This record gives sequence, C-alpha cells and structure tokens, in this order.
Amino acid sequence: MTRAPSLTLNQLGLRFPAHGSAAGVVALQNITASFPAGSFTALVGPSGCGKSSLLRVLAGLQAPTQGEMSAVTQSDIGFVFQEPTLLAWRNVYDNVALPLKIANRKSRLSAQEIDVRVSEALTLVGLEARAKALPRELSGGMKMRVSLARALAKRPPILLMDEPFAALDELTRFRLDDDLRAIWQQQKPTILFVTHSVTEAAYLAQRALVMRAGEIKSEIAIARPASQNQPDNFRAAPSFHAACAAISEALAQGERA
Amino acid sequence: MGAVLQKLIPLAVGIALLGIWELSVHLTQVPIFVLPPPSAIGHALVDNFTTLMGSLWVTVRITAMAFFWAVVSGLALAIVFTRARLLEMALYPYVVTLQVTPVVAIAPLILIWVGFDHVDRALVIIAWIVAFFPMLTNAVQGLRSTQPQLHDVMSLAGARWWQRLYYLELPAALPSMLTGAKISGGLALIGAVVAEFVAGSGASTGLAWRIIEAGNRLEIATLFAALALLSALGIALFYALTLLEWLVLRRWHDSFAKTR
Repeated sequence: MTRAPSLTLNQLGLRFPAHGSAAGVVALQNITASFPAGSFTALVGPSGCGKSSLLRVLAGLQAPTQGEMSAVTQSDIGFVFQEPTLLAWRNVYDNVALPLKIANRKSRLSAQEIDVRVSEALTLVGLEARAKALPRELSGGMKMRVSLARALAKRPPILLMDEPFAALDELTRFRLDDDLRAIWQQQKPTILFVTHSVTEAAYLAQRALVMRAGEIKSEIAIARPASQNQPDNFRAAPSFHAACAAISEALAQGERA
Repeated sequence: MGAVLQKLIPLAVGIALLGIWELSVHLTQVPIFVLPPPSAIGHALVDNFTTLMGSLWVTVRITAMAFFWAVVSGLALAIVFTRARLLEMALYPYVVTLQVTPVVAIAPLILIWVGFDHVDRALVIIAWIVAFFPMLTNAVQGLRSTQPQLHDVMSLAGARWWQRLYYLELPAALPSMLTGAKISGGLALIGAVVAEFVAGSGASTGLAWRIIEAGNRLEIATLFAALALLSALGIALFYALTLLEWLVLRRWHDSFAKTR
C-alpha cells in the first residue's frame, strides 16, 4: 500500500439547488476536520445528517460548493458503498480486477501485477476460493467482502466506507468488523467509516465524529488499550462501553437540541 | 408436471386439432377452395416444394437483413441518444413520426425512390422501418437504467465514456436489448410480408407474393402451405432469439434464476 496522505478539510460546504428555495438545501456546512495518515475515523449521525454526502465529496463524486480540502486524486481513494455494487455478469475475480483494468491507461500495471493485486485482495477478505463465482452465487456478507476486496485491490491510501455492513445480520457484521480492523492494522490506510451503529463506531475506530444537520458537532476519542486488540476482548472492556456511552450521549444531545 | 409432458401437451393439442380439422372438412364436404384439409395442404407443400422454398429463402433474406439493420441502427442511435441529449431532443420526434406513420402508406413512395430496379432494397427498407423502433426504445431504456452507484464505481476507477459503455452500460442493457430484438425480429418478418404485398405482382417472389398468387388462382391449399411456412419462420425466429437470450443471460440474470 502507498503511504497514506493526511486529509484536511477547511470550511467545506455543499448545497443542492431546490425548487422554491433560493438558498437551496444545505447538505454540508462548516466542515473543518483533519484525518491524519493511517487513522481510523467513524462518522456517526442520524439519517440525512450529511455523512454520505461528506464521503461523496471526499471521493470526488460530488464537488463541494464551498471551502477547500487537501488535494487527493481518485486513484488514492478506495470506496465501499452500502450495497455491494457488483457487476452481476462478471465473476468475483473480474469484479475486483475491473477498476485496475480501467485505471490501467494511467497506472500501466502489467497483467501479472493486476493478478497479484487481485489475488492478494481476495486472500485478505478470505474469498480466494470463490474467485470464479458470480455475485448471485454469494451470500450478502460475501458480496460485501468482494466489494471490500475491489476497493483494497487498488491499494488505496484512503478508504471511504459508506455504511458497508448495515444491511448484514449482526454476526456477519461482527466478523467483517474484525476483518476490517485486521486489514487496517496490517496496511494502515486512512479510513473514514460511516455508520448508524454506535457500537460499530466504538469498536472499529480511533475516534468518532458525530454529525448533525450537515455539521460535525462533536469529536469523541476512543481509547483502546493495546492489550485489547484481540477481536473479542474489546467489546467486554470498560473503555468500549465508555466510548459507546459518549457517542450515544453526543447523539442524544442533538435530539434534545 | 414433468418437463417432457409439458412439451408433449401442446404437440398433442396441435395433432388433435389437425385431426378434427381433417375430419370436419371430410364430413361437411366443404369445397377445397374454401377450406382445404391439412392433408391437401401437405400435398401442396410437397408438390410446390422447390417454388415455396425459393420464396421462403427470399423472405428469410429480407427479414434477416431488415432485422440486422434494425438491431445495428437501433443500438447505434440508442448509444448516440444516451450520450447527446440535444441530439435526442432534436431527432426523437422524427423517429416517432416514422414509427407512427402506417408503413403501407409510405411503402409506394419508398419503392419509387429506391427504384423498381432495386425492389429487394426497398423491401428491406420498408421492413426495417417496421422493425427498428422497438430495438431503439428498449436499448435506450436499458442503457439509461443502469444503477447510479455502478456509475459511481466507474467514476472512481476513472473510466472514460467508452469504458463506461463497454464494461457497464452495454452488459447492463443486454436484457432490455434482447427483449427489443425479440420484438424487432417478429416485426421484421411482418414488415417483410407487408412490403412484399405492397410491391405487388412480379416484383418480389417471397412467401407473401406466393400467398397473393395462390389466392388469385384459388389454390387455397398452396396459400395455406405458404402461410404455414411463414408461421414456421416466425416461430423459428422467436425461438432462436429466445435461445440467444438464454445463452447470454442464464448465468447471471435474475429472470433466469432457478426456482425452487
């Protein structure tokens, strides 16, 4: 993986035009934050608070209408959507290889290098044995793993994840959370992870940014002692419960406001 | 119900109907020039085999060419329309006009413009007019209904327009395009028959002309034989395109998911 650049946002705003409103609809405003290289940040907040819009702006899928952000190119970014977003007619291997093939005009990767990267990404998500399977032959969890592998195969220094495991059952979600943490610890990309789940944010990230009405309202650091890096330990740890309580409290403050 | 039985039932119904037809004609002694029995139609088919096969070949050729150009032009125009909204706005009303104008009304004009030296060409053009619209509309709909998030995946990969078209839009539009092709195939045959009718005596020797000729001579059994060949051609075309659809989509498309 290439060295992760840090990401800084300065007074970032996004406004959509709307019928009958000259000002339009505000999706994001006054977003000032920095994401150090190799950090893991969770974005938490109620539906419609701008979490996904922020990710789309960072990925270059949406241009901000205000403010500035550090220059990152789309080749630096891996994006995992809420849905697996796989091409139904391509098998697992070909789905994972596709962005590399498309980007090959610029990156000039050899076929062998593409093969190495795809195989490596599939091994990371535990799907090397299903490389020839079509998406319809996979479970929901496996499809999300393919989607994750597709993002990882680019070896992106920045990984943006938009509620990737929200549609999965809890057990599968726990397993994928553990896998994701292991990948992050091994490769140290800068991760921004959008989630509705307080426990998922507390379990995965080093800090949680709580968003409301298009703004970042609070920042909560999550202390995770080194001895509790084992997957199952941290969910029983007092610091995990403290982080959950702090994030819940920040969300509840918004409800009361 | 077993798969074999499912296929045998329509066949048995067909044979039974032919039997009833044969028997009724003999019992009621309907004149052969009004309604010939299936056996007489079979004889007419054998007696005029060479002529009818020659005519079948003419109709097949016109249908196939009209269908080919309908698919090529429908798909090409669909790609242009989905890339250039302005061109679509400018041209679409004229495409619709061409579609809604009865082809029988404009066929004589086309024959005159193309010239009676090239009747075959005129027939292909007439059949193409009938066949091309469903291909165009289905292809446009297919190309437009790609999931927006898949477009995001392409954008993140830095895809150029042709890569987006090749890797995403065309495969995603295949089910719609094949549906359009199935409709166009049937319409190409109808268009070919209409065109032959319009072209009139001696100008074309396809199956439609054989039907007119046999009707004029009161050779109703031959007329039925030509009609049966036309139906067989239509059915063959439909099943060939259904087979193609199955071959292309069966592995990945939901419409071919195995039901449990």
